[in-house]
Amino acid sequence: MRQRIARRLSAAWRTASIPVLSTALALVVAGVVVIASSAFTGNGFQPLLPVGAYLQLFVGAFGSTTAIGNTLVAAAPLMLGGLAVGLGFKAGLFNIGVAGQFLAGAFAAAVVGASLATSTGIVAVPTAFVAGALAGAALGFIPGFLKARTGAHEVVTTIMLNNAIGFLLTWGVTDLVRAPGFSFPRTGDLGNSALPILLGRNLHIGVPIAFLAIFVIRWLLERTTVGFQIRTVGANPNAARYAGMSPLLVITFTMALSGLLAGMAGAVQMLGVIGFYASGISANVGFDSIAVALLGRSNPIGILFAALLFGAFRAGAPLMQITTSVPVEVIDIIEALVILFLAAELIVRRVFRIRAARAVPEEIATVTRTWGEQVAR
Amino acid sequence: MAKRAAVIFAFVVLVAASCGVIPGTSSGAKIGVVTDIGQLEDKSFNEYSWLGAQDGAKAIGAPAPQVIVTKDTADYAANIQQFIDQKYDVIVTIGFLIGTDTLKKAQANPNIQFFGVDQFVADPAPKNYQGLIFVEAQAGYLAGIVAANITKTNKIGAVGGRSDVPPVVNYIKGYQNAAKKENSSIQVAVNYVEDFNAPDKGQASAQTMINNGADVIFQVAGLTGAGALRAACTAKIWGIGVDVDQYNSLPDAKNCIVTSAEKHLQNAVRDALKRWKDKGAQGGNFVNDATNGGIGVSPIRNITPPAGLQAKIDKAIADMKAGTLDPLK
Repeated sequence: MRQRIARRLSAAWRTASIPVLSTALALVVAGVVVIASSAFTGNGFQPLLPVGAYLQLFVGAFGSTTAIGNTLVAAAPLMLGGLAVGLGFKAGLFNIGVAGQFLAGAFAAAVVGASLATSTGIVAVPTAFVAGALAGAALGFIPGFLKARTGAHEVVTTIMLNNAIGFLLTWGVTDLVRAPGFSFPRTGDLGNSALPILLGRNLHIGVPIAFLAIFVIRWLLERTTVGFQIRTVGANPNAARYAGMSPLLVITFTMALSGLLAGMAGAVQMLGVIGFYASGISANVGFDSIAVALLGRSNPIGILFAALLFGAFRAGAPLMQITTSVPVEVIDIIEALVILFLAAELIVRRVFRIRAARAVPEEIATVTRTWGEQVAR
Repeated sequence: MAKRAAVIFAFVVLVAASCGVIPGTSSGAKIGVVTDIGQLEDKSFNEYSWLGAQDGAKAIGAPAPQVIVTKDTADYAANIQQFIDQKYDVIVTIGFLIGTDTLKKAQANPNIQFFGVDQFVADPAPKNYQGLIFVEAQAGYLAGIVAANITKTNKIGAVGGRSDVPPVVNYIKGYQNAAKKENSSIQVAVNYVEDFNAPDKGQASAQTMINNGADVIFQVAGLTGAGALRAACTAKIWGIGVDVDQYNSLPDAKNCIVTSAEKHLQNAVRDALKRWKDKGAQGGNFVNDATNGGIGVSPIRNITPPAGLQAKIDKAIADMKAGTLDPLK
């Protein structure tokens, strides 16, 4: 029994070591940047500033029940978005369109939610939520279908769709669904469609939904035929076809499901936090999700922890800014460094003297794969 | 190993807990600023409002203000709440998009003063939330005086963002009226691109005006307008910026910006803090206009101003102060 636990732990460490150590290294390097920026901006040389800043970051993220709530609320859309990207990686697909699918989900949820603002919550909340998820799925389906049908690379199509959908939704909110009584174009108030608050000030029902999604996707990938097909297509489309699977069908399905998850992220953020759609609302979740999926090694449990880490950064940053005057951009630096070190694994292995892995992780392979490769038809 | 980890964890929790309570011992008012999306040093709304908060804090003897820079629109509420949780007395929020959350927080926290830069507070307004708004028509009027006095072709233009956004329309109306009053034969081309984020369209729109002979272009169109100014620079004619001194905020167009129709954000925020200190809770909307130095034009750049231009600007400001000049007529 004990041996088995030890074996599982060491297996887990083997997968998690590089992400964990990359994060540690990123914190150290960002700390140097903090010291340097303070020294160069006339605030003087403060060698302990990073320690204080990280401490406040930690307190802001975990120091009270409210702080933990903020972390979970910030992490929820990242979990869903991270799953969206991670699921794509499993099938060898790089869905950069999460930002657009997120916005589509947010928009649909906002419009449907506002129209049901006076209905009872038991009807309004699920309807608005499902509308958002489906909008994301529809937008994810397009690049999937294009790839399966014409071989159009999903990286190109999803990036272009991000722009297209952004402009389309701006037009939608200014000319089609603009709510009266506001000084700028936006959708109406959500009323009863807002996600119910479960705990404290802002811990809404989207948080348990995101946790649930983690385990559903984990089950899907590891325990179902569909999941096996997704992983097989990701590993080798030709072999999958030889084994009687249809890579084209699997690719279309995976992209649609990925879009569905991204749409859920948008719906959760819209119905739980933002409350109305306006041109100019951020789609950062879409891009942070890529980082989350990379850091989580496309593994649902890994994505859970990566999303919690990024959520903690987001939730802790305000307190860090107020109490230590360290600029919020240090968070961007940390996140960027994490990805840098993940991609340049060699650096981390040298610094921490870890032996080389046997194979390149699938998500790194997907991201760095050349575009010339074609899927078998 | 496990023991050591536990000890380290306990230490972290202890230190964290002890730091978590930030004592509010300083005697003066605590002032917090929540910015709009982007960076603090944007040479635009965030930066000048922040400078205004610093000036204001100094003026009322409060400790240096703190700022939370917003990186995602979803964080507006959480960022405001952070200041509330830290027992801040005054919270300044920047930009219209954060207005919805500011209103909610003001309603929930009647003992904290909220100021919203560029936010219009609709009735019924809470007593502790004041929108700082600006009379764009007056600033546009001053820009129109400059344009009418530097044009050689007697043709000037204005590129607007959207025709259904009142501040944009007011800027341009003031500009038109001033130009006509300065020189009744002047032709003012006005085009609303109906988009704030399309530099290419702004450039095309300005180019059409330039092709028709315009030699001064006023932009009131955000990023679209940056494109319009670029067209002006390429054609070696003059551009006029908007909201802040764009000579500083748009280095690309530095060499062709003559002036900018300005909202004096820094003064507006500073004065708001003074009002709060002197008179207590502030509600409704505070109109920043010529009477209180809330609007103006930036110094003339890149050209030697024609004789008498400054006098004309000063006269217009004086008339606006006196109430004898309505820029919308």
